[in-house]
This record gives sequence, structure tokens and C-alpha cells, in this order.
Amino acid sequence: MKKMTLLFLLLSFTVFPQDIKDKVNQALKNCFGNNIQFEIEKVRIEKNIKNDIEKTVGQKFFSEEIYFYKIFENKSIIGFALLDNVYGKSLPITFMVMFDLNGKIICSDIIKYREPYGGAVQSKEWNSQFKGKDAQSEFIVGKDVSSISGATISVNSVTKGIKKLTLLIKWLMK
Amino acid sequence: MKNLFLLIVTILLSKSLFAQEFEFFEPKATIGGYGELHYNNEKIGSSPSKSIWDFHRFVLFFGYSWSEKWSFKSEVELEHNFVKNGQGELELEQAYVNYHHSDLLGFNVGIILPSIGLINEFHEPPLFFGTERPVYHNLIIPTTWFGSGASIYGNYNGFDYRLTLFETLNSDKFSLSQGIRPGRMKGYKTDASRFLYSVKLDYLNFPGLKVGGSLSFNNAKGDSTNIDVTISEVHAKYDANNIIAVFEFGNINYNSGELKASRGYYFDLGYNVASIFNLSTKIIPFIRYSDINTAAETLSGGDNEKLYHFTEWMIGLNIKPFEQVVFKIDYSEQTRKLDDRKSKFINFGVGYMF
Repeated sequence: MKKMTLLFLLLSFTVFPQDIKDKVNQALKNCFGNNIQFEIEKVRIEKNIKNDIEKTVGQKFFSEEIYFYKIFENKSIIGFALLDNVYGKSLPITFMVMFDLNGKIICSDIIKYREPYGGAVQSKEWNSQFKGKDAQSEFIVGKDVSSISGATISVNSVTKGIKKLTLLIKWLMK
Repeated sequence: MKNLFLLIVTILLSKSLFAQEFEFFEPKATIGGYGELHYNNEKIGSSPSKSIWDFHRFVLFFGYSWSEKWSFKSEVELEHNFVKNGQGELELEQAYVNYHHSDLLGFNVGIILPSIGLINEFHEPPLFFGTERPVYHNLIIPTTWFGSGASIYGNYNGFDYRLTLFETLNSDKFSLSQGIRPGRMKGYKTDASRFLYSVKLDYLNFPGLKVGGSLSFNNAKGDSTNIDVTISEVHAKYDANNIIAVFEFGNINYNSGELKASRGYYFDLGYNVASIFNLSTKIIPFIRYSDINTAAETLSGGDNEKLYHFTEWMIGLNIKPFEQVVFKIDYSEQTRKLDDRKSKFINFGVGYMF
């Protein structure tokens, strides 16, 4: 019976829609390579850190918790990633930012976009411009981040969201 | 029996736990809006100048998302702050149910905006140069153009498409001075026996650039006329590296009546000078050139094709303390082709969106 239970447990996992989980795994592999292992931790963001970052960036966190990934290759840590959400015009945009060990962005990816307008923020080309940015970068739309005509709200929202994570990763790396 | 019970509980538990993980959507109502207050001063030819204050638009957006896929979106607009004796307008500009299946495919049905030109769907004041919308969007592609309809949309590899089935225009109302603009039915008891068909394609994968066009056809009908209308337009906008550049060209062909074609284009070029001084407020001086002729081709020809042909130079400034608020000032001069009559306009205003 225990075996049966285990089997059903496994089955029930696979039957469920796992698009976000699959896309996260794919995004991590695209960024860090196929031979990685990772640990996931749901981290509660300390209140004073949360307030400081929100004030600096001018955008609230989606929730008090965030998914924090530690990336390993051959048992040694090679980077980090954060999975978070921001609001577009009315729906959450789920996005992920991958960092090197110094907190510099290596990749960013939109994991799930739900709005009828503004889907162009998902493009690889738009996301690639965040590569190399860190907590000291400007993140000004129209200046160091290009805008997308017809996706103004999403572009501003995601840009701020990514900026928040560059500040947060510094705290998490401690 | 006990084991079976345990098994069911385990399955249910694992399912609900897993469902909660990465589950970020919650049914939610959203409000938003935009508005703009304008000062308009105009001097047409040799007539004395006149100036007005106009709270041109006050718009409230309301939306509700039942699920990640099904949502409702709406926009109610009060124009000119007041509705009385044919002055001002209260309009339901958008009200549709949207089904977003995936990036590749979605659809909406209700009061919608046809995807024609850069500004019709994205008309909030911080998104364009000039206090008033470009004259091209008044006379060639009438903006905001809204009405009953349905559309299918999606994005594949940076190509954004939208196919729209939209309410007909009323051909009795077409005019030499305003093209198709007066023919819009605005969702008010429109003749359901015919449609406007529209297809739009944009390419978005070059950072900062949107480039594309649309083609629309309508066998428009009124009480006394029946005119085939073909609207074709191309558009491009670049917004990156502190540069904003816009270009749009539109052509409308009519198959019968005095009016045969309306045609126009404009381009904008602006630069965020605040970046030189590392200011976060955007200060964007810009220039615009427009060439508009609502009666570019007519049956009788001659002066009829010059009377509504004008060019316009505009210089102006958009100041954005942040992305959602804009202060605008501009000066423009229009020259009528027929007789070189000059008209001068000074506008300033404030606009917002949230």
C-alpha cells in the first residue's frame, strides 16, 4: 500500500499543469547550462529590507515571500536566481532573474505573461539588455532600458521588478 | 479501508499543495484611468486669435479578471468635462470580454478599438508628443475609434498580429474635410448587415522598435450611399537610447462619390536632454512635420484637392517627472496648399495615466 501511495503521489505531481515549474527549469538551464543542480527556498523578506527596497524603486513587492534558487555545478555554487511577480495593467507577470556570485544579472526571463496587451516584454532581445546590470545600474526606461511601444505599463513594471531583485539579491547573498 | 482513506487524503493533499506552489493568480478587480487638461490658442488665417481651457478627456478604466484566461476590460470617457445640449460627450470607449489562451492566441468581444495606427489602442497622454493628439490621428486615422466588434490576436516570434471584425462606417457621413472621421458609429445601433475587416501585423523583436502596418476593408453604407473603403497604413516607433522617433503614413481609398482618396503622414523626432545632466525627470524637446490631405483625390479634381491639403510644422516639449505624468507645450504652424493661408497654434497642458 505504501508503494501504491508513493506511486499515486508521483502521478498526481506529473498530472498537474507544471508550466511555470517547467519554464523555470528551462530558463535556469538556458542560462547556466544543462549540468546544473539547484535548491529552491521560499524566503520571507525582512520587513525593513522590504520597505527600503520598495522606497528606493517605487514599487511594492508582490508578496512577502520570494522564490530563491541556489545554482550548483559539480557541487559548487555558481549563481543565484529569483522568481517573482509584478502587476501589469491588471494581471501578475511572473519573471525570473539569474545572477552571478557578485549579484550581476546574467539572464532575465518572463516565465508567464497573462495580459492581452504588452506581451512583447517576453522577447529574448528585450530581456537580454539587463545582462551585466546590478544594484548600481540606472534602470531608466528610454535610457538604459529600451521601451516597447504598446507595452509601456509592462515594460515599466518589469524593469522596476528587476531592479528590486538586484537590490534584494545583495541582502540574500549575505 | 483505512489505507484507502489515507491514500485519498495523501493525493488530495499533495495536489492542493502542489497547486498552491507557483499559483500567483487571484481573481481581482483593477481600476485605472487617464486624463488631460489643455490650453488651446489658435489663430486661423487673418481672423483674431482665440484661446480656451479644456479638460479634454477624463477616462476611468475598470477591469476584472475571473481567471488567468478570462477577463473583462472597460473604459468610460467624459470629454470636455460636461455634457449638455450637444456639447461634450459621455462614451463607453471599451467594454469587452477577453480570453487569453496563450501568447499565440486570444480573442475579445464587445466594444473594442480596431488596431489601426499607433495611437488608437495606446492613446494615453504620456505616450505621444504634443498636447493634442497628432493631427494625422484626427483626420486620417480617426482616434479614438471604438465600436462593436471582435478580434483574434497573438504573438509569434516577435510578430504581433490582430484580426478584427468591426462595425461598419456610415458612408453618408464621409466628408472632404474630415475623411472617414464623421462616419464612425461609436457602437450606437450600428447597421449589423456589414462589417469592417481589419488585419494588423507588427514586428517587435528589435529592442525599442515597433514597426508594422494594417489593412482594412469596409463596404460602408448609409441611407443614400454605399462606398467601398480601403484603409492602409504603415507605422514605426523607436524609443531607446534617449531617442524617440515616430513615423506613420495612411491612405484611404473610396470607390464612389466625390471623395476618392484621403492621405497623410507625419514624423516626430525627440531627444531626452535630461539624460545629459543625469536627471531622472525626462525633458524631451521634439519636432513634428505633418502632411495631411483628407481630399487627396476627388472626382472633380482641381481646387477640391488643394482645399483640405495642409502641411504642419510643430516644435514642442514633453516633460515627464515620471512615466505616468506629462507636462506638454507646443507651437505649430499650418500652411494650406490652396492659398498659403497660415494658421498658428499654441497649446499646453498636463496629462496623466495610472
